[in-house]
Amino acid sequence: MTAAYLKICDESFDPEAEHKAFRETIGGAGAIVAFTGLVRGEGEDLTLTLSHYPDFTESQILGIAKQAESRWPLAGWRILHRVGAMKAEEPIVFVATASRHRRDAFEAADFLMDFLKSEAAFWKSESVDGKTRWIEPRAQDIDDKKRWTE
Amino acid sequence: MIEILFFGRLGDASQTLRVELVEGVSDTDGLTAWLSAQNSALAVELEKAGKRIAVNKTIITDKAPLKDGDEIAYMSPLSGG
Repeated sequence: MTAAYLKICDESFDPEAEHKAFRETIGGAGAIVAFTGLVRGEGEDLTLTLSHYPDFTESQILGIAKQAESRWPLAGWRILHRVGAMKAEEPIVFVATASRHRRDAFEAADFLMDFLKSEAAFWKSESVDGKTRWIEPRAQDIDDKKRWTE
Repeated sequence: MIEILFFGRLGDASQTLRVELVEGVSDTDGLTAWLSAQNSALAVELEKAGKRIAVNKTIITDKAPLKDGDEIAYMSPLSGG
């Protein structure tokens, strides 16, 4: 049984608390890999705003996680993703995977992040000094995702 | 009545629309063409980014028939994490 947890949250979360909560659900696993993505930069000037498509985004991420479960023998996974307005240094995404041996957890976490970056239904805009622009996947993000299908 | 949602930069061009199905529009290709004719800013964005479309929260890969009560979502390129 894989310990599965997904939350899309409109308030800040604490990655350390999530790591601890995850650890309590994956009894017997030998490895946890946890990734936290932060809003890049510093200071108060920048606001990053993420939106999603309620229900659609969740079911899409569950589909991605099912793929991960079928590729690697996972004891568990935990995904939190922020939406709403964020400031620099705030956590935006948390992905943790657990497995019996480390390699599976490393690869599954990497896979999940690559898909979250370019396949999950989130839209990101950045406002600096009153100017807003949409942020779209970079070529690097697309290439990262291709690693898992080629 | 159908509900049309726009996400990402498409949302800048047009917010959520609730419209009666227009005569002559029977599928998603027809709807896209009709929307483009209504709003030139949206037409530009649909041309650039409007290839990802969901009908009732399921992504379609080909044009799909539309009926009263459907929810159609137009999505610009995705960017999470």
